[in-house]
Amino acid sequence: MNGMSLHKKLEENSALLIFGILFVSSIGGLVQVLPSLYQESLRTASVNTRPYDAVELTGRDIYIREGCSVCHSQQIRPIIAEVERYGPYSRAGEFVYDRPFMWGSKRTGPDLHRIGGKYSDDWHYIHLIDPRSVVPASIMPGYPWLAKRDVKTTDIQRKMRALKTLGHPYEEADIENSPSALEGLKEIDALIRYLQMMGTSFVEAEEEVQS
Amino acid sequence: MADLPNDFWSAWIAIITVISFVALAWIVFSIYFSGKDSKTATEESVEPVWDNDLREGNNAPPLWWFWLIFSAMIFSVIYLILYPGMGAFKGVLNWSQDSRLDDSYEVYNDQFGDKRIEISASSLSKLQNNTGLMTTAERIFTRNCAACHGEDGRGQASLFPNLMDVDWQWGSSAQQIEQSIRLGRNAMMPSWQAALGDEGVDQVASYVMTIGSEEADSHPGKAQYNQFCVACHGADGAGNPLLGAPNLNDDSWIYGGSVEDIKRALVDGRNGVMPAFNDRLDDAQIKLLVAFLVR
Ligand code: HEC
Ligand code: HEC
Ligand code: HEC
Repeated sequence: MNGMSLHKKLEENSALLIFGILFVSSIGGLVQVLPSLYQESLRTASVNTRPYDAVELTGRDIYIREGCSVCHSQQIRPIIAEVERYGPYSRAGEFVYDRPFMWGSKRTGPDLHRIGGKYSDDWHYIHLIDPRSVVPASIMPGYPWLAKRDVKTTDIQRKMRALKTLGHPYEEADIENSPSALEGLKEIDALIRYLQMMGTSFVEAEEEVQS
Repeated sequence: MADLPNDFWSAWIAIITVISFVALAWIVFSIYFSGKDSKTATEESVEPVWDNDLREGNNAPPLWWFWLIFSAMIFSVIYLILYPGMGAFKGVLNWSQDSRLDDSYEVYNDQFGDKRIEISASSLSKLQNNTGLMTTAERIFTRNCAACHGEDGRGQASLFPNLMDVDWQWGSSAQQIEQSIRLGRNAMMPSWQAALGDEGVDQVASYVMTIGSEEADSHPGKAQYNQFCVACHGADGAGNPLLGAPNLNDDSWIYGGSVEDIKRALVDGRNGVMPAFNDRLDDAQIKLLVAFLVR
């Protein structure tokens, strides 16, 4: 048999052709994806990385709802220009509680993975409502409604339970108390809490090693 | 994939890679070089023929395709020898993301390390007289500080203080400014609503407006000011750089200078936060910023 006669066999037998296509296109996955599902560094949380609490989780969902990830990535690449600009590059273990993660490669605005602690809550507040009031040349849209709308407290328990079944280590008490943790917060407050904790776990871990 | 859980997955990757490579090579070589199919008479009769003699496979694909695929195959062999890819094999170059980053930092430090040390060791006045370095300092300021303190450093949004004036909330010396940048600042003024009551808030606010003028002495708000405010802002309203308590007896205000603004400060309290830049900037950058700001 040679290549031409194999070609002919496949061409004349559609079941064999379908099987052949599936087989060949699965090879990449078998080599690249399957082993990485067992790779420790991709599966285990980095030191200090913890699941989002009720407020941060709510903020994260607002981030997703408002489409912030359309303009902002959350992944700092391991090259010097990025590390100098944004901080330590992103580790896989920092994202084990991100479902879905928002790494991205579309950067209309800067990467936000190490935004936590870079600005004050006050700054985020006015920047989110009207970016031009602090960054005159900004092309980021304002999100004034976030400061008016109360966060939704009715579905947070179900969200946390769902994540718990996926392996996020929430205590039952945290889930019980989650609606009261959200009580009285505006959407912007939750979003800022999320922004302020983003990417902070790794930095803390590094400091711990030094001290 | 240097940290695969065990040899099984490493072998899995390597074996599938080798087998696919061999299979690809076999297909390519047999298509180009196995010669014409030795067809039996029956096979020939079912094979479709067009235009008398045009049938599947009677022209080999263009040869430059072959060379293209062939060089891609050579490339991938060399690549898999040099770089990680075959299971847990690290590659002859011992390349990794971290080593690449370390290498770029080595080049970076070779290029700029001495200059940085020189900057860190220079006196502030020497840096201030170097226009090139001051341009760099301004650029560092624009990149890191302008979002809050404004592009011109003159403060904005009635929240972020002016750094270009003579008023320094946390002190005007180089050390104090360096500390503001390195460790950040957390101003703490609680709400006075409960202590003063509504009327008290009105009166003290109105008193604060008069500090430094003649009416101040006889102002009805003075008593409460002396009771609650002197500890931080001082009897003459000059403030206290150790606590970050600002001067109240001049015309420069962080949060705005109307009576309404001052009342809001008393009712809500004020907790200005300047983030710490110790981890985000290096010694030379901080030194340049101090030189840029100090007067
Ligand atoms: C149209 C694209 C766009 C969208 C959508 C967008 N941003 Fe931005 N963002 C930008 C740009 C451009 C900048 C840089 C200018 C500035 O600071 O305003 C920026 C800056 C920022 C910064 C400051 C980053 C830094 O390091 O200085 C934060 C924080 C931020 N955005 C958060 C958000 C959040 C939260 C959302 C969703 C509610 C969002 N952005 C949506 C474009 C966008
Ligand atoms: C514990 C110390 C402390 C006490 C007591 C205190 N303050 Fe303050 N005050 C501060 C600090 C610190 C700030 C700066 C807040 C900031 O930067 O966010 C400040 C800010 C202010 C401001 C805003 C100044 C500006 O430039 O915008 C006003 C007005 C003010 N205080 C008035 C008062 C009055 C009136 C009282 C007495 C009722 C008082 N403070 C008592 C520490 C204090
Ligand atoms: C998140 C916004 C923010 C950023 C970014 C920021 N600052 Fe500040 N900075 C503040 C605030 C707010 C204060 C006033 C703190 C207070 O209320 O006491 C301040 C205070 C200061 C002070 C003390 C001022 C005084 O009167 O004593 C200095 C110096 C200073 N900043 C320098 C810088 C430099 C240099 C940078 C850039 C590396 C920078 N800041 C970036 C918000 C910011």
